[in-house]
Amino acid sequence: MIVAQQKPLEEIMGMIANAEKVLILGCGTCVTVCFAGGEKEVAILASQLRMATRLAGHEKEIREFTVQRQCEYEYNEQAADYVRDADLIVSLACGIGVQTMNEQFPEKLTVPGLNTSGLSQPTEQGVWEERCQACGDCILALTGGLCPIARCAKSLLNGPCGGSQRGICEVYAERQTPCVWDQIYHRLKDLGQLEKLMEIRPPKNWHTSRDGGQRKIVREDLRL
Amino acid sequence: MIDYEPQVLAFACHYCAYAAADLAGSMRLNYPPNVKVLHLPCTGKVDVIYLLRAFEKGADAVFVAG
Amino acid sequence: MSDNGYIVGSNLEKALKAGYFVATGELGPPQSADRHEIEHKAKFLKGIVESVNITDCQTAVVRMSSISVAVILLELGIEPNIQMTCRDRNRIAIQSDLLGAYALGCRNLLCLTGDHQTFGNHPQSKNVHDLDSISLLQMCRDMRDKKIFQCGEPIKGQEPRFFLGAAANPFADPFEFRPYRLGKKVAAGADFIQTQLIFNVPKFQEFMRRVVDLGLHEKVYILAGVGPIKSLAAAQYMATKVPGMEVDPEYIERMKNATKGLPSLAEIKNMPPQEAAEARRLRKEASEAEGIRICVEIINECKKIEGVHGVHIMAIEWEEAVDQIVRQAQIGPKYDPARQSATLQTD
Repeated sequence: MIVAQQKPLEEIMGMIANAEKVLILGCGTCVTVCFAGGEKEVAILASQLRMATRLAGHEKEIREFTVQRQCEYEYNEQAADYVRDADLIVSLACGIGVQTMNEQFPEKLTVPGLNTSGLSQPTEQGVWEERCQACGDCILALTGGLCPIARCAKSLLNGPCGGSQRGICEVYAERQTPCVWDQIYHRLKDLGQLEKLMEIRPPKNWHTSRDGGQRKIVREDLRL
Repeated sequence: MIDYEPQVLAFACHYCAYAAADLAGSMRLNYPPNVKVLHLPCTGKVDVIYLLRAFEKGADAVFVAG
Repeated sequence: MSDNGYIVGSNLEKALKAGYFVATGELGPPQSADRHEIEHKAKFLKGIVESVNITDCQTAVVRMSSISVAVILLELGIEPNIQMTCRDRNRIAIQSDLLGAYALGCRNLLCLTGDHQTFGNHPQSKNVHDLDSISLLQMCRDMRDKKIFQCGEPIKGQEPRFFLGAAANPFADPFEFRPYRLGKKVAAGADFIQTQLIFNVPKFQEFMRRVVDLGLHEKVYILAGVGPIKSLAAAQYMATKVPGMEVDPEYIERMKNATKGLPSLAEIKNMPPQEAAEARRLRKEASEAEGIRICVEIINECKKIEGVHGVHIMAIEWEEAVDQIVRQAQIGPKYDPARQSATLQTD
């Protein structure tokens, strides 16, 4: 899922400095599941901002609302009254939600209250690990189901590099990130498919990734 | 600061802390009037939002007893 | 292959093909635009090694570019091994730079993935990694042998012809895959290999046994990475702080013992300045001599290992030591007895 983390309070305070009435708008999907921008996080941030602005000398009017999915117009429509009353919207959705709001309600500025930080798997309670970079050309069939684009610090296609030691990546050694190429090696070995590692993988075609410009999927069969 | 009387809000569990406060009352024991007791069915119901709201509405300190 | 039987005909290729136990050196470019620093370091390397690697912003620290320093070395009469990493350039920039490097006279090229930028002085930079070391090798080989760019378009005119090198780290994991990865580099086009610094000879021997079993030593020239340890602190640093390095505890012990009998650092603190300076000098000399001795011993061990065709001497910021090392090990264009007689014969 898409995971995100709340921006520091000071940064959010800076963004709302010139607004009087602020709407904190949450999203009930991915960011709710990762405890960053659901109804509860909206309530906490709103309360914090009320107190912080009061302590700063002038309490702002902070309102709260959460939609089911901020990346779709139909859901955001329910927030229209709140949006109309606000000077500024702080979105606690991912970057897609923030942009949907700006597009849908161009008369009001929506600013991000979160930093969207990846497509991750909740590997244990309170831990999310990046698993996918949405490169547009999935190679998981070649690598035993482990993604080197997202999980190798150098996105190598012919790893592991010389910085792999005892299964750990040398980059930010204190984080003890597993070397995904070490994992791929052992996984393919277990599957009896080491021959896949002997093939040289040619340079990746990055044009399906962000490098090819903004991506757009058009499904004619689904269009109205 | 000598006259400062903090407003304290106590979240008390029905089954233990609140029962204790009840008992204290029947024993005629005093406790400071600036402590307000809030009766909860269980302190498991306490949420960070309750605590924040308490501060927002003017509490200087909050304690949870259960 | 050109008519004379050489791929490119560089000094390095010729010496390897002639079957000499070769020595290459290394020069770290300055973190400035200062040409004199290069000229100063180059003095210590000229004529005693076949060619000199010039790192490409090693450990991701901004330095003068490898190709620019190579041109300065060419002017000084030293053959450069330029290095190219995939960290800072995409395939467009790499090919462009290599066309230029060939036109400027560079003939040896070491293809690397590159140290991650978080190790350097610009950890906030964006890395590229459009290619990796293996696809880079393949691209360079195809530019040379198929006269095509990576996209498949033909190179109309002179193609960049490089004697292609790659790195291997026998001490990284998984150990059992390392010889195969070397094999992938050979299949991708590597003509020579330079290994990570070796301070664990038995493990390197085991690695080479596996390389020989795969028959790779007959397809590629392998140069063992060696270097002198300057001090006990340097040995300890390499043993504990440098990822992908293994240091035999014996060497650390020997560096410790090198200064036995001399005043300790604590004793030096209480000495009058002049006496302290002298004591420090003695300690430094003893450490350095032991460091060089260990390096020469490792080289002599490497000579006996099947499939090792020479050494790559990394004495960055201690280039002065290289002359002593090659002299004591009797290798390289100046000190190899086999080559002296060869020179005499041709004279």
